[in-house]
Amino acid sequence: MQKRWAHLKNANYLLAGLIVIGLAIAPAWLGDYAKHIVILSLYYVIMAASWNLLAGYTGQFSLAHQSFAALGGYASGLLILYFKVPLVVGFLAAIVTTMLTGYFLGRLVLKMRGIYLAVATWAFSESFRLTIAAAYTYTRGDQGLPVPPLFQSLNPIWYYYLFLALTVVLLLVMYLVLKSPIGSFLRAIKDDELAAMALGVDTVKWKLFIMTFASTIAGIAGFFYAHYIVILSPVMLSFNEIGKIVIMVVFGGLGTFVGPLIGAPVIVILSELMRDLAEWNMVFYSLCVIVIMRTYREGIASLARRVLERFGMRRKIALANDKPTP
Amino acid sequence: MEPIIETRNLTRRFGGLVAVNEMNLAIERGEVRGLIGPNGSGKTTLINLISGVYEPTSGDVLFNGKSIAGWSPNRIANYGLLRSFQVPRLFGSMSVMENMLIARFADFRLDYRKDYDGATEKAQQLLEMAELDPLRDKPAKILSGGQKALLQIVRGFMVDNISVYLLDEPFAGVNVVVKETIMKVIEQMRQAGVTFLLVSHEMASVRRMCSRVTVMAQGARIAEGSMEEVAANPQVIDAYLGGKK
Ligand SMILES: Nc1ncnc2c1ncn2[C@@H]1O[C@H](COP(=O)(O)OP(=O)(O)OP(=O)(O)O)[C@@H](O)[C@H]1O
Ligand SMILES: [Mg+2]
Repeated sequence: MQKRWAHLKNANYLLAGLIVIGLAIAPAWLGDYAKHIVILSLYYVIMAASWNLLAGYTGQFSLAHQSFAALGGYASGLLILYFKVPLVVGFLAAIVTTMLTGYFLGRLVLKMRGIYLAVATWAFSESFRLTIAAAYTYTRGDQGLPVPPLFQSLNPIWYYYLFLALTVVLLLVMYLVLKSPIGSFLRAIKDDELAAMALGVDTVKWKLFIMTFASTIAGIAGFFYAHYIVILSPVMLSFNEIGKIVIMVVFGGLGTFVGPLIGAPVIVILSELMRDLAEWNMVFYSLCVIVIMRTYREGIASLARRVLERFGMRRKIALANDKPTP
Repeated sequence: MEPIIETRNLTRRFGGLVAVNEMNLAIERGEVRGLIGPNGSGKTTLINLISGVYEPTSGDVLFNGKSIAGWSPNRIANYGLLRSFQVPRLFGSMSVMENMLIARFADFRLDYRKDYDGATEKAQQLLEMAELDPLRDKPAKILSGGQKALLQIVRGFMVDNISVYLLDEPFAGVNVVVKETIMKVIEQMRQAGVTFLLVSHEMASVRRMCSRVTVMAQGARIAEGSMEEVAANPQVIDAYLGGKK
């Protein structure tokens, strides 16, 4: 039992390493459009994985996560446009504003759960979206806020490696947090908050921590995304945007680490393939989510793991048959 | 010696209802104190008050002579005062082992890694004592009712500095074998220096475990003494027979 699990875990590390190496050498064969798709996928991997910390692990179904990416982008974009600050100051501003706002939102929804938390966070992101749209004299509203690129060169290869490195680093940080007792605290809060408190888990502290942490990650991702697409608009704050993130995580597997890593690229690629369908896209995804919720609630990741495990078990049985044990 | 747990005129109202009414209780170090009383007499509410789940309407709770009224449940637990729930509350999606370890690391410190092996070993010993070790990698939600009750109790002992354990109906809905195991665990931990408050309707078990018993009725203490003494007390007989008016 123990051994087989360790064997699976090592296989996972190996697989993760191979994927990263594969992505690192892939640009040799990828065109600019394909590179763009990878960059987009990596951005959504970060967004989906960090939203999963809230909804999947802690049970906080936040609908405000996309606003933190936008906040990171706007904080930097506005400072650079109006105060001509260097990029690194824009980056620090993105971190500090999303961190503080995340903490504030965490305080606001501290006593809420389930549908109440969802509605409150939705109201939060909606008022943020309306503010950005209404303050168009500064933010240029739907016309879009121009944001300077990070690199002089138009070649997307720099962004490609930047996003690859960023994704690896942020996923690693999230992985370490989840593997520490903090990961257990989050799942305990989801399972039974009172029981967690009764054992001495400071649930207030950890709920605030995870909201601040996930929001800051979204802010960092949003900063780089903004300086990649070089134009920001309130579309980044729309309900569709969080809807897409929810679909990615649910499709891949809510509350599993690999779920968002599978879900995000699949949905990004599908949306590109079906771009001509425009709004019908969302209808298609929504139907997918309903089907997954009805048939295989744990998502594609668990399905894949189960298949792997079955395979591992079969091998073990085969070995046992070869050498009968006393 | 000062009592390890003391309540002074502890009162809790729910609207018009006084669930705990001017309750005075003092538990000595190393005791296994029994707490009995008819249904609705306020036993669970008293545990909720001592463990910080409810704030008292008035009165005080002292732990090692220090007032803990108004503290959060987690802060109280970090100080070594633990409680179990009448209906076991486990982390259903987590494995039995994880349920144990989370109690050990609840008071989080960044250097948690250096205690990991010791903690796993201790968890293993406790699970063996409770005969739950074959289930250590199973999710807690698949356990039977009796196994859940057992796991909930042994999980509390993972807290390193546990000194008081309030047990709310630990024998409710468990079979004779599990009941014996729970009593064995309590006795072992008492010898290791843990003080218990044992709320139970099982008079036989209370008689066996507790040299002193407190009787509650309508939120207040109506008698205290050995099981024989309280059982002969006319007020107690009246509370149980006359019961709920
Ligand atoms: N949260 C609450 N809100 C309102 N009333 C409550 C609450 N908790 C307890 N009560 C009431 O307080 C009284 C005492 O309840 P409590 O659960 O403490 O009794 P108990 O002695 O534990 O009973 P039992 O033996 O049935 O477990 C009851 O009348 C109960 O209905
Ligand atoms: Mg009760």
